[in-house]
Amino acid sequence: MIGIEHYVVVSSILFVLGVLGIFLNRKNVIVILMAIELILLAVNINLVAFSAFLGDLTGQIFAMFVLTVAAGEAAIGLAILVIYFRGRGTIAVDDVNRMKG
Amino acid sequence: MDFAASLKLIAPELLMSVSGLVLLLVSAWVGDKASRAISVAAAVVLGACFFLVAPAVCSGASGPDTLAFGGQFSADAFAGLAKLMIFAAGGAALVIAPAFFERFNAMRAEYPVLILFAVLGMSIMVSARDLITLYIGLELNSLAAYVLAAFLRTDDRSAEAGLKYFVLGALASGILLFGMSLTYGFTGTTSFEGIRVALNGEMAMGALFGLIFMLAGLAFKISAVPFHMWTPDVYEGAPTPVTAFFASAPKVAALALTMRVTLEAFGAQDDAWRQIVIFAAIASIVIGALGAIGQSNLKRLLAYSSINNVGFILIGLAAGTPAGASAMLVYLAIYVAMTVGGFVAVLMLKDENGNSVEAIADIAGLSRTRPALAFCLMLVMFSLAGIPPLFGFWGKFVVFQAAVNAGFVALAAIGIAASVIGAFYYIKVVKVMYFDEPADVVKGESDWAHWALLAISALAISPLGYLLTPWLGNLADKAAAVLFLGV
Amino acid sequence: MVDLSQYLPILIFLAIALGLSAAFVFLPMGVARLTGAHNPDAEKLSEYECGFPAFEDPRSQFDVRFYLVAILFIIFDLEAAFLFPWAVSLDVTGWPGWITMMVFLGELVIGFAYAWKKGALEWE
Repeated sequence: MIGIEHYVVVSSILFVLGVLGIFLNRKNVIVILMAIELILLAVNINLVAFSAFLGDLTGQIFAMFVLTVAAGEAAIGLAILVIYFRGRGTIAVDDVNRMKG
Repeated sequence: MDFAASLKLIAPELLMSVSGLVLLLVSAWVGDKASRAISVAAAVVLGACFFLVAPAVCSGASGPDTLAFGGQFSADAFAGLAKLMIFAAGGAALVIAPAFFERFNAMRAEYPVLILFAVLGMSIMVSARDLITLYIGLELNSLAAYVLAAFLRTDDRSAEAGLKYFVLGALASGILLFGMSLTYGFTGTTSFEGIRVALNGEMAMGALFGLIFMLAGLAFKISAVPFHMWTPDVYEGAPTPVTAFFASAPKVAALALTMRVTLEAFGAQDDAWRQIVIFAAIASIVIGALGAIGQSNLKRLLAYSSINNVGFILIGLAAGTPAGASAMLVYLAIYVAMTVGGFVAVLMLKDENGNSVEAIADIAGLSRTRPALAFCLMLVMFSLAGIPPLFGFWGKFVVFQAAVNAGFVALAAIGIAASVIGAFYYIKVVKVMYFDEPADVVKGESDWAHWALLAISALAISPLGYLLTPWLGNLADKAAAVLFLGV
Repeated sequence: MVDLSQYLPILIFLAIALGLSAAFVFLPMGVARLTGAHNPDAEKLSEYECGFPAFEDPRSQFDVRFYLVAILFIIFDLEAAFLFPWAVSLDVTGWPGWITMMVFLGELVIGFAYAWKKGALEWE
């Protein structure tokens, strides 16, 4: 039987991949946006799996909210990225360093 | 509890949402020439909400009558007190903005609307008694805040601050959310009360991980060490009125949320989170004090000072007693006054072309060219450092007192020692202002709104502030008692 | 040790998916080859890729206006997801549920009106 622990392991792996994607990625800010989505998807897997496992619908409702908020977050991230690109002409992560200290 | 009664309890939030939507449409149709009018309208709305919330705070409302929508939302005295601080800080952010943005020809009508939505999100956050409500409030606040950080579209630093704030804020939300999903999975419920009941006794390993992830996400939001690295960059890059807002209102909201999560939801497992809170408190105090040394930019200095102050506030949480929670609320109220005063003073530093002056070297000899401004900035600096006659000292005093009474003498001793180290740097700023040769850079005149706000906060943090202590302490005690009802 | 036999359903599923998709791809090709006229040219043989040339430097920029449309699309597309659980549970939630959803849709309309008035929907 595939139990709840399999789901938790998968979602933990996705979560770690997402976090590493934010910190190890040195190329492109768009990749960071994708990594954030990956983290939120890991959370959704967790929520839906727990919801099914517990026989409680709350987790699935929560997952819906996470989905829609993730969409809003992606939209705002893209918008800020466009503004940033207009000013600097690049979206490479290494160039995001105007302020230091 | 029926629907109508629930709606009555969320009246301030309803008022803010409806007026936010109306003002959004006005901003689209009338355009940027209405931005001053919209700012005034938004400030009036916040003022009205202030008076809607105040009665619940004064009467110390608690219990089932304050729960709306099946216990997902609570309009109790604790949430009320936090909301009063948030509304005040939001109102200040509205008042100081127009003069600043008009210098860059960048005052747009969306600014007050975004502030209103951010305040609405925070007000939902502090009232949340369910993980879903918490998440919705947190994100409503964060999404508006990301846009605000990047509001000065033509300025590279503002866009970069927006990008950094977005990436790290989204990461923090993700971590918090992962913790919430684990907590839900291992307790079987999303309501704080249910979590508390489920965790009475042994805590499962998964729930412990959930708690740790949630604390990490919250530490990001309150910029406690080790999750503080975004703070100086974002505070420096964001437009100064927005920085003043970030440093005050969201701090109150996130700290109130942290108190609710730890004391209410995880109140039965205080041994599990106390060590983390103690570590974050000491690390924040030390890093905040050491990081301030060597900063040449006033906004970065204030950023490190906010990290430092969050550490002191967390000492109250580590105590884990009603007195500790009450001390945190008192400290937060004083902190909001100090922070708003500090950033308004920075906002008033302008050179002859009206550009912002942020370098510490440029305010040398300010006491001779701008004595009133220099005096207020000195009050803020001494108060942030916690030097006795000023009100900032009182916040530190009540927090240490709560920690000592709860048996954390060593923690209080470390805090006191570190605050002495930290005081050094604030005093250096005062020395630059009062004893160095005038750099003669600060020229511009400020409008009356800035002066009024600066005067109010200077008055509040001056020794006169001690007249407020019985009243403030009483309100904070009543509010803090709400969190310990379940014990 | 993991019992591999429990993954049999997913294996069968993948096999069926592979078979079906292969059929979907190759069957029309075979049928077309046997029945239709066969006179290819360069335009016909090129892949279709959403209005872009299929092979060019992937680092080249494309129009920022695509982002704007994408941003608006994600938001309004996903908010509609709330309609499904609402629709199936309307008999439980009753009038409060109905009113709440209408308020939510009203908020979406306000957002849409704002975007429209700001000119976010105009291509030029």
